[in-house]
Amino acid sequence: MRRRRRKKSTNDVELNLAAMLDMAFQLLTFFILTFRPAPTEGQLLLHLPPAQPVTKVAANPDRAGGGGPANPPPEMNALMLSVLTEPTGEVATLKFGTSVLFHGPANKNALARLDNRLKETLASPTSPFDQVTLQVGPKLRYAELMKIVDVCLKQQLPDGKPLTKISFVELPSGVDL
Amino acid sequence: MSASMSHEASAEPNLTPMLDMVFQLVTFFMLVINFKGAAMDLSLKLPVVGSARPLDAKGKEELLVLNIDHEGQLKVYGEPKADVKGYIAEEARSFVDSAKRKNSNFQTGDALPTIVVIRADQATPFELLNKIIKTCQDQGFRDFALKAMNRAEG
Repeated sequence: MRRRRRKKSTNDVELNLAAMLDMAFQLLTFFILTFRPAPTEGQLLLHLPPAQPVTKVAANPDRAGGGGPANPPPEMNALMLSVLTEPTGEVATLKFGTSVLFHGPANKNALARLDNRLKETLASPTSPFDQVTLQVGPKLRYAELMKIVDVCLKQQLPDGKPLTKISFVELPSGVDL
Repeated sequence: MSASMSHEASAEPNLTPMLDMVFQLVTFFMLVINFKGAAMDLSLKLPVVGSARPLDAKGKEELLVLNIDHEGQLKVYGEPKADVKGYIAEEARSFVDSAKRKNSNFQTGDALPTIVVIRADQATPFELLNKIIKTCQDQGFRDFALKAMNRAEG
């Protein structure tokens, strides 16, 4: 028995793991240094068809209901929202079609009013609209735009589908609708 | 006698458990590594929108990530792109080729089955953002994902 043990111990092969450990530590160091946890970002998914030319309205004012660019022709099925901006990039005025919905910044109360008005208009079974066109002042900050887009994307169409079609039109600077 | 004593004195630590642990850590970091994160410009301050949801590609696997800073500068993988139209047109061509390979019925001019992911700074003026969106629309992109944070950070 003693002899066997001695023989076994002399035949033992001991791998030198130090080199492999070095390599593994190098890999570990690389991954730790390049590790960047992904930020918890969300997104608003939009289907953006190309904007319709609003100049059509001026060419045919009778069909547009006598308004300016805020009234699209009925066949467009687009509800027009116009956002006029302060020089600082805040919302100055929001127009729902041709009527002013609110003046001042897009705070919670103002956005709740927009939400209610959109619900009344879009969810109605007789609603002709299937998309929203946002006429936006050039200086409007992205954060402010997202607040309005967010309210629009919460809306449902009469068939129960969520509203996803939104198009953007840039208003000329200094325009007063 | 002296030989056996020297053998007992030599200390050889068993490195196997340490190696196991290190390999487990390496495996962990390999699994959580995020190559898509390289496409994001983390210096941008995204707007905060409560209803923003994590990206749902809806079967569209291809994404075009565009980072736009507050001056309207387009950045891709950290590099500013001076020729925005040229860059987007080039990307659109490659997506058209890819779409044609996957779907033989796809024709040039059809809406591209790609989502344009827009990561814009919250202070970016609409006029600068709209230029880039229009350029994308002209090239056939129709689906856009506007990135935002679910809640304010810090």
